[in-house]
Amino acid sequence: MEKALVLLHTVNGQLPPAALETLGLAHTLGGGFDLGVIGAGAAAAAQQVSGGAAKCFAVEGEAFAVSRYSTDAAACEAVIRASGAPLILAPDSMRFHRALPGVAERLGAAIDTHVVSVAADGAVERWYYRQRVETTLRRGQRPWILLIEPGSQPAAQPQAGAAPELLDVACETRTNVEGFSTPLAGEQTIRPDAALLFVAGAGWTKKQKDGAAHVDEAAELILDFVRRTQCSLGSSKSLVDLSGEGEAVLPFLTHLHQVGQTGSSPRHKKGLATCCHGEEPHVVGWRFIQERRAVNLDPNCGWVRGKADVVYVADAFEVMRELLKLL
Amino acid sequence: MPYQIIVCGGLAPDPLQTLEPVFDPAKPSLKNELMLPAVFDPWAAHALYEAGHLAKQHPGTVVRVVSLAPKAKLQQVMMTVAQKMPFELVALDGPGGGFTDAAAVSAALAEAISAMADLDRSRLLLFGGWESATRGAGVVMQRVAERLGITEQFLAVDELSVDADGSLVIKERIEGGRHQISRCAAPPAMLAWATGNLPEPPNHPQTGMANMRVIMPALQKAKPVALEPAIEYLRTALPAAVRQTRVVKDVPAADIAREIAEWIRQ
Amino acid sequence: MIEDNNGQPQGQALDADIVCTGFGPAVAGFLWTLTQGLQQPEMAGVESKAVPGLPPQIVCYERADDISFGVSGVVTRARAIRASIPDLDPSAIPLAAKVRDEKLIYLLDPLGATRRPAWMRLADQLCRALSGVLGVEHEGLALPWAPEFLHKRDGFIFSLGQFNQWAGQQVMMTGLAQIWPATPVAGPLIEGEEVRGVRLAADGSEVRAALTVVGDGPVGAVGRQLDEHFGMPAGRRRDEWAVGMKMVIDLPEDSALEEGTVWHTIGFPEPEIFGFLYVHPGRVASAGIFVPSWMDSPVRTSYRYLQHFVQHPYLWRNLRGGRLRSWGAKSLLESGRRGEPYLAGDGYARIGECSGSTNVLTGSGVDEAWLTGAQLGEAVLELLRSGKPFTRENLEAGYVARRRASWLERESQVAERARNGFQWGLLPGFVGMALAGLTGGRLALPRRGEDRKPKKLADYYAGRLSRSQIERARQQAEAEARPLHDILMDLCGWPAVEYDGQLLVSHQDALLMGGKVQAPGEFPDHVVFRNPELCLRCEAHLCVEICSGEAIRVSAENPSGVPAFDREKCVHCGACLWNCPVSNIEFCAAPGGLHSAEN
Repeated sequence: MEKALVLLHTVNGQLPPAALETLGLAHTLGGGFDLGVIGAGAAAAAQQVSGGAAKCFAVEGEAFAVSRYSTDAAACEAVIRASGAPLILAPDSMRFHRALPGVAERLGAAIDTHVVSVAADGAVERWYYRQRVETTLRRGQRPWILLIEPGSQPAAQPQAGAAPELLDVACETRTNVEGFSTPLAGEQTIRPDAALLFVAGAGWTKKQKDGAAHVDEAAELILDFVRRTQCSLGSSKSLVDLSGEGEAVLPFLTHLHQVGQTGSSPRHKKGLATCCHGEEPHVVGWRFIQERRAVNLDPNCGWVRGKADVVYVADAFEVMRELLKLL
Repeated sequence: MPYQIIVCGGLAPDPLQTLEPVFDPAKPSLKNELMLPAVFDPWAAHALYEAGHLAKQHPGTVVRVVSLAPKAKLQQVMMTVAQKMPFELVALDGPGGGFTDAAAVSAALAEAISAMADLDRSRLLLFGGWESATRGAGVVMQRVAERLGITEQFLAVDELSVDADGSLVIKERIEGGRHQISRCAAPPAMLAWATGNLPEPPNHPQTGMANMRVIMPALQKAKPVALEPAIEYLRTALPAAVRQTRVVKDVPAADIAREIAEWIRQ
Repeated sequence: MIEDNNGQPQGQALDADIVCTGFGPAVAGFLWTLTQGLQQPEMAGVESKAVPGLPPQIVCYERADDISFGVSGVVTRARAIRASIPDLDPSAIPLAAKVRDEKLIYLLDPLGATRRPAWMRLADQLCRALSGVLGVEHEGLALPWAPEFLHKRDGFIFSLGQFNQWAGQQVMMTGLAQIWPATPVAGPLIEGEEVRGVRLAADGSEVRAALTVVGDGPVGAVGRQLDEHFGMPAGRRRDEWAVGMKMVIDLPEDSALEEGTVWHTIGFPEPEIFGFLYVHPGRVASAGIFVPSWMDSPVRTSYRYLQHFVQHPYLWRNLRGGRLRSWGAKSLLESGRRGEPYLAGDGYARIGECSGSTNVLTGSGVDEAWLTGAQLGEAVLELLRSGKPFTRENLEAGYVARRRASWLERESQVAERARNGFQWGLLPGFVGMALAGLTGGRLALPRRGEDRKPKKLADYYAGRLSRSQIERARQQAEAEARPLHDILMDLCGWPAVEYDGQLLVSHQDALLMGGKVQAPGEFPDHVVFRNPELCLRCEAHLCVEICSGEAIRVSAENPSGVPAFDREKCVHCGACLWNCPVSNIEFCAAPGGLHSAEN
């Protein structure tokens, strides 16, 4: 494999797990690598992991401390030019995903994102059509930037090495990063660090056996479960859409909770889907969940069959009531 | 201030369709691709609804959709999209689908935008989805913006508001289910939208009729675009893993709950 | 102008010259003919009266969410379609193929569970005894001769969805007509005795037009309201119906079925249920059944029958290992010419299935529908050219006269009495059909004074199930909120369907994986039970049994006891409408339903 540049950024002055995963991938490819780190505390962070790197670069300073297209693109461009490596490996974080496609355009480079594997012969795997078609591809064009999907690679053991060369990058911007916001407190959304993803389907808001809907109880059960287990809360598109249309259904759900076709495909060890008959979580939103269980009224639901490890044919309201007694 | 909003968006298969890849190293495709019912790409559709919302708040704002897709299919989809809100269309007649090269698509879109006679870049807001539902790469909008010289770019946007001083306050999705809030002093800017917060507008026949008077001529003079293959595909396949699903039925809810609780704790 | 809070104009009238309701083969034929004709030099000066200065404003409103979401099992001689499109190339239309091999197949009962009359049981025995001589294989007998009127040998196999999509795209690319999907029409605008356009269901806005072309199918809201307002011509009645339900199947790799194969079947899963199998290009087949209104079973869930149909050994040897691609159902108006309404009036004309164009003898409707549309198209071109108004007289002279002078009329007359025998019973039915078909309609059985109606449960199952068994089944169905039909079929010896998750799937999965059924959020329920008292007194609840999507159910836990409707499962087939014995169902136009383009 040809030489690679491992391009990373810091988060709060530290390298996040996804950075070490990308570094781990570079180690396995065996073509040698340079290291580049941008962001607050980039130089110190780079030195902690630069063992094995042929060359090492960093861009830091106030302008580069925040995640912002113009400054990030300028910093990444400078590092890539300084390294000259034909292959650039970077974690597929939101920060790099925003910046690197434009950098590719500036450099006349190719770019592929959401890459889940890179083989030594340059064959790259990624998904098309919202995780529904697996694809392996290769490109002749260089430079070639690959954004590596977090969670898809084993992390490298950090090895300290040489101090990086600090690159001086000048850039103008019209954008200020002013802060952060989180959705309503207590109503968790997708949290990558949680062990369990709980997916609430539209069935929670439908008429139940007695001919009436029980939305308030559904909301209580779900929130209580999420709070007790500290799990990630995901939802199906149809349920989120209902909320968006102003119907009185599970008002705490937003599009941030959405998994599946037009939502995220989060990576969690376990997933529990409830009332999702016929909905996409089983197909798409679950793609990267290792252990999958579902509570569903129809055992033959084609979206569960062959896709979940266990399906409990039962009323989700009853199961959740019992489950909450045990947690 | 009135904006010039350009929304880039392609077509995607109606989300519930069964997709099956057909392998070809230069030009993979989906089985019966032309047969599949199509929708306006869901992410781009969110961008379009946000554009319509902004246009209503800023009189004089023009919304233009730039779309690269097979012409007949695009026309069919426009019959639904055109009922949502007023916009103009710039149509490029070319291959759709996920397996085309994003760089070539970006070049074609940027060229079409640059060719707009009355383009005022100081008022330009370039909108699109944060990725397509087909290629799912999330790189086209940034590439188009670079080609147009737009250095203020935002990805996975859920909210845009305009302050009294004309600055744009933008909320982008970041890791951990949070939003980053940025302030961009002025256009031009590129916003690649996640879902935003607006529901899909209901169909509006009158708007549709009015739109079609300008959309039809645009479709009829759609410029043909050929995209050079740039990728060597080695394999396209459906995910193979089929799990042995254990079905637990006719078991009291309490027992099921006990089993689930144990599994969660493991 | 009233504006909603989005600043969009709301509810004001739209002006067009021609408004069409429903985009099926009839309106496709109409718009094809019209838009082709408008491009001819002699039409150059024709302008819109609604929007002067522009070409005629022609719009079509389709209820379904896409113009490709229609359902039909189409094997057609395509005489009219080919007359309109002489260079029709099936390879340009996905799933289209030329008919290559056509057979009529008698299916024996391999299960012993069907309700065969004695003569049919005897026929089965004879077939088995003489299987070597007759060539009976896999419990099926390919009949050596099929009556000429059934043949489609020079025709095409289509997917109606794909054909509609193809035709719609061609029409729209002319730029002369707009076809709006997901836009249900609530009803016609009738002023005095004149139709002045339509009212849209979404926001009640009016679309005013000099001509309203009604092609909204057998259960369309506009057609039904016209019938209510204007009545039916003397002697005309719409009393014969069927549910057509089909699967589109990816055939297994080793399937021996060749593209262009057409099988018509009789004899199974019940003697009254006719079936079909057509093979499209690319190893795809359509298989389906027709469950007729004259079948006297009070419980007749088409889906269960369809599952047994595809598992009949004659079909199953080719289908086993296949995968469900698509699924769908529709109502068929089988009254034919007997159900023909007033074809034209001041400001309106009716075409296609809702105009009684389906030929019930040849089992052909798509080409006939196209023809009626094409005939109206020619008439409208003449009227536009001469600047004459769309009055009843002018439309009768241009459209109805063309229709009366065409093969459609001649063949409809042959077919008109062909199905009379089925009102007496199965054997008279077949005899009557043969008689009418072979004598060119000169001979036919007379029609009974009263139509054959579903029997009471106890009567239908007399000798097979006891009253207490039926009562227990009913209680079980209510407790489990499922149709009674399944339970009764199990009790009568029909084997349970073993789901394989591929082709044999639950009804709900057929809806989701096959039909991809959806319902938009903003519309109210489009199936409404008008008077709950009538439902409470109803023994049969045929609406529940016949429902193609399990969208209607009665639950003991539903305190009112009235059937509940779940619009997210509805495929808009309209079977509930004509199965309700007391006409207690309001069936409105709404978007949503099937999202499969392959039916």
